[in-house]
Amino acid sequence: MTPPMPPLLGRRQAALGLLASALTLTSCGQPEEEILPYVNKPDGLTPGVSMRFATSLPMNGYARGVLATTYEGRPVKLEGNPRHPASQGATDVFTEAAILSLYDPDRSRSLRQEGRVGTWEGFEAALLPRLAAAEARGGEGVRLLTGRQTSATLLRLIGGLRERFPAMHWHVHEPVAETDARAGARLAFGTPLTVLPRLERARVILALDADPLGPGPEQIMHGRAFAAIRSARRDRPDSLARLYAVEPGFSTTGAKADHRLALAPAGLRDFALALAARLGAGLSAPDLPAPVARFLDAAAQDLEGARGAALVLAGPWAPPEMQALVHWINGRLEAPVDYLPPPPEQPEDLPALAGALRGGAVDTLVILDANPAYDAPADLDFAAALRETEAFTVHLGPWRDETAALCRWHLPQHHPLEDWADLRAPDGTASIAQPLIRPLYATRSAAWLLGLLRGRLSLDSYAAVRETWAAQWPAEAFEATWRRVLHDGVVPESAAQPLPPPAARLPEPPSAPQAGLTLLLRPDPTVWDGRYANNPWLQECPKPLTRQVWGNAALMAPGEAERHGLREGDVVQLHAGGRMLEAPVLPLPGMAAGVVMLSLGYGRRRAGAIGNAFGANAYVLRRGDALWTLPGLRLAPAGRREDILHLQEAHRLEGEAQELLPERPFADFLDHPLEPEPKEPPTSIFKPLEPDAPVAWGMVIDSTLCIGCNACVVACQAENNVPVVGPEEVAKGRDMHWLRIDTYWHGPEAAPRPGFQPVPCMHCETAPCEPVCPVAASVHDAEGLNVQVYNRCIGTRFCQGNCPYKVRRFNFHGYADGQEYANQGEPIVAAHYNPDVTVRSRGVMEKCTYCVQRISAARRQAEKEDRPIAEGEVRTACQSACPSRAIQFGDLRKAEAAVSRLRHEPQHYALLGHLGTRPRTTYLAQARNPNPALEEPEA
Amino acid sequence: MAQHFPPSADTILRAVLAGAALFVVALLAVLLVRPYTAYSTSQDRIVEQPVQFSHAHHVGGLGLDCRYCHESVEESAFAGLPPTHTCMTCHSQLWTNAEMLAPVRRSLGEGKPIPWRRVNQVPDFVYFDHSVHVKNGVGCSTCHGPVHTMQQTWQDKPLTMQWCLDCHRDPAQFLRPEDKILDMNWTPPADQEERGRRLIQHYLIETKNLTDCSRCHR
Repeated sequence: MTPPMPPLLGRRQAALGLLASALTLTSCGQPEEEILPYVNKPDGLTPGVSMRFATSLPMNGYARGVLATTYEGRPVKLEGNPRHPASQGATDVFTEAAILSLYDPDRSRSLRQEGRVGTWEGFEAALLPRLAAAEARGGEGVRLLTGRQTSATLLRLIGGLRERFPAMHWHVHEPVAETDARAGARLAFGTPLTVLPRLERARVILALDADPLGPGPEQIMHGRAFAAIRSARRDRPDSLARLYAVEPGFSTTGAKADHRLALAPAGLRDFALALAARLGAGLSAPDLPAPVARFLDAAAQDLEGARGAALVLAGPWAPPEMQALVHWINGRLEAPVDYLPPPPEQPEDLPALAGALRGGAVDTLVILDANPAYDAPADLDFAAALRETEAFTVHLGPWRDETAALCRWHLPQHHPLEDWADLRAPDGTASIAQPLIRPLYATRSAAWLLGLLRGRLSLDSYAAVRETWAAQWPAEAFEATWRRVLHDGVVPESAAQPLPPPAARLPEPPSAPQAGLTLLLRPDPTVWDGRYANNPWLQECPKPLTRQVWGNAALMAPGEAERHGLREGDVVQLHAGGRMLEAPVLPLPGMAAGVVMLSLGYGRRRAGAIGNAFGANAYVLRRGDALWTLPGLRLAPAGRREDILHLQEAHRLEGEAQELLPERPFADFLDHPLEPEPKEPPTSIFKPLEPDAPVAWGMVIDSTLCIGCNACVVACQAENNVPVVGPEEVAKGRDMHWLRIDTYWHGPEAAPRPGFQPVPCMHCETAPCEPVCPVAASVHDAEGLNVQVYNRCIGTRFCQGNCPYKVRRFNFHGYADGQEYANQGEPIVAAHYNPDVTVRSRGVMEKCTYCVQRISAARRQAEKEDRPIAEGEVRTACQSACPSRAIQFGDLRKAEAAVSRLRHEPQHYALLGHLGTRPRTTYLAQARNPNPALEEPEA
Repeated sequence: MAQHFPPSADTILRAVLAGAALFVVALLAVLLVRPYTAYSTSQDRIVEQPVQFSHAHHVGGLGLDCRYCHESVEESAFAGLPPTHTCMTCHSQLWTNAEMLAPVRRSLGEGKPIPWRRVNQVPDFVYFDHSVHVKNGVGCSTCHGPVHTMQQTWQDKPLTMQWCLDCHRDPAQFLRPEDKILDMNWTPPADQEERGRRLIQHYLIETKNLTDCSRCHR
């Protein structure tokens, strides 16, 4: 007998058929596609296969080495260059977001003369006669203004300019400058040495209002060092360094400290003096309140006990005397600090230029990529000086910013990813930046402009950089060295040689700060000094601790706000030094009493469609004599309210902070592991996963190491084509980040200890999102990934409702597909998309995929080569971005894999593990290394 | 009182009801079958190209290797289309004045690519990789049909997900030895099932999760 014929179409196929019919009836079928091959294919390029190139990006003038992934000459992703000392294979938010700024539709595309489109020939015709006249005068009246320069080529070209114009003045303006740090070094050592703390060699660290783990050119370097000294592992129970922080504001370094003391600037000064006195400075130690004295005793004892590995840090915002005092203390402690020779030339500053502009002493002013019309201290009123000057003003920059608008000529500049350059890392290592794409617009480089000033027409940056290095390398080996340096991304052995530790003089004690309310200005963790304000990824990146997006706020302790009768969102007038600024109030536990903190970089007027008009412009209050600390602050309610936009509110997990992110001394975890033995999994309606699948992907996140820097968040956004939603949508509780960093607050409100917890999808083995999906769009694959099949998803959002971790994100609108925020729908923006990841459309649910495209690429490569996937071959975007190595990803089937070993640490736990979801992403709880002398039982 | 409806009204009503029911059934049937028809899948559709390139002549006649033009098929997801320079390796010497090749010469002269039109098209949410298939025993003609006989190229297979899954569920019936991948005339031998099973082991193909969604969609 023949078996009965199966039906022609199964139930499923019938349903799919109907669906497909309905779709094709309402649409026009697939669009015709064209394939455009090369006319002449470049050597070494395979269409569809990505290529990686080493280059460098500037941050405040310093280099961070990156490896850029390009597809057919189109850069789409930046990762850290492991060989570069300032990136060491990791990134920060600014590096990750640079790719989007390359494709920013607001970039300047044309030369402007008095605001109207001009020509390059017209510019040269106007400039050259002036230069000839200036040359005849010996260069009198020629002024150059730049940001901080570490580029050997630009320094050489500027030196060349001096030959033509001996009387030329060169000014440098950087809003986040190291002026005070250099002045402090000069006070202590007699020369303005570069002082580079080496956290990786420290056992006890005291941060006196310093934020080495916060944003800045050295963040990645310090993050790596932090990972080296703070990895709490069972087999190295004593390896944890101890971190103390004393600060008026709240920094990420303070958040990671074992002990933190919030002191207003006056208290901080007393603390530092008392510490110096303890170490034999022969000062009269000020009287400290009892709790502060106790803290000082414990910290000082620890520091002295760890001589040679004890380190005290001061931030770049500390006054020079304080910097010098810290140098002296470090000298006494034989601290692990590298002292590097100072830069050869100390250019003049901005006030000198403003004075010259007002005095009519400027004939020709050339501004290279600096924006003083926005970010100069308010008392200079540089914008007015620039507007009123009769001088021939030229601005070269990638954006037509506030300064460009006030100059007679604006010249569009290459983006750093389009240009040849050379830069130095903070430790002096030189690297050569190569372009990853031909300039998108008719732009020019800084080297070209400096060449033109020198009298060399059409000097290109490639030739200029090669000339610089041809003078340094032996001629016969030049080509080989050049290729090697481009390949590696660093010039070998170019780091500055540390000097023998110089003896530090004990400076005059810092003067006592004025009493009363103080305003602290700090660089912003997402837009820095304002230069990144037009980057939507950074605008929508939640700031550490406050989780604020799309703006800044006046941060103050809850008690301080209460004292002034202010609530969150009340707009307050900040009066300081005769100027006034309005900003919304955001209470932040842990701020010192008597202190208000505001970040720079907001309130821009000519940033572009993204950055304009958000937040309060702190530069309005900044003064030349009070760049970072403004005493005598007066608060007055403005009588209106402004919504402060936060993330996390909409995705808050149910539970106690100690349960969601346990936080204990590491010794406690060793005595009482969180998961003593593997528990029998609760009975489940799910069928078990393939027990003999070749791989079982898993992730372990060490919250002890997480410094909350958000590099992973933006890396995920760049890798996975995650769109921004804009402030209006954020206000509705919507955002699209696949990975978020939750912040939990431990300890008493007066002395909180926040903990950071990055939350991607947990890839639960028994995932609650799966059984509720009516169309099976949320399903498991054999390797343990909980995958979301976008083409099946019909947008019921049941999965989102059923996810206990709240990691699913829904496209309420076509955020990436026709309803983009602001100018994000411009065609050029689409160039940043990763071609290996679907761009999701409206009505579709999405979430973290463990970077399934990277897994797939590794698997296909392994299958082509007939071998298994090697350990470490798949690195997720968040993992490779993380400066402090907090995220590990790999195959749980391999006992020797990092993820498997971490799962046996005593502080290992599963988030909301009691729900029986059996998550593949698990955590190491936050381990501390407290000083027993300072531990008090919590009430 | 007069009748409102004539006696035929009943019949008309029944006919209309039956007709409506029939219409619904017919509509459903059409909707059900339509996506599997060649009309919807574009199977056997010939695409007009800017240059009347004949695979029959170049492959069937002259015996050019597939990889001469589709050179990245073993390394990349994209098999590759020849740069204009590849065409010109021969056609700078042969048929240099042929009308048919004018677009190729124009492309070289103007430095603008030839806008070929895609024949085998899968939706954007499908991430198909040529290299992993040809490296693991799937031959060109299995998916592209007898290209060496095509004067104009057509889409030989339906390219529906069902069609993909036919092989992903049971690759043994389609796999070839390494030296037969490019063979346009290969047909499965009588003992293909047995050979296929051995080839799965030879290529180390992990068949268990070949139907995972994440294999092709991401």
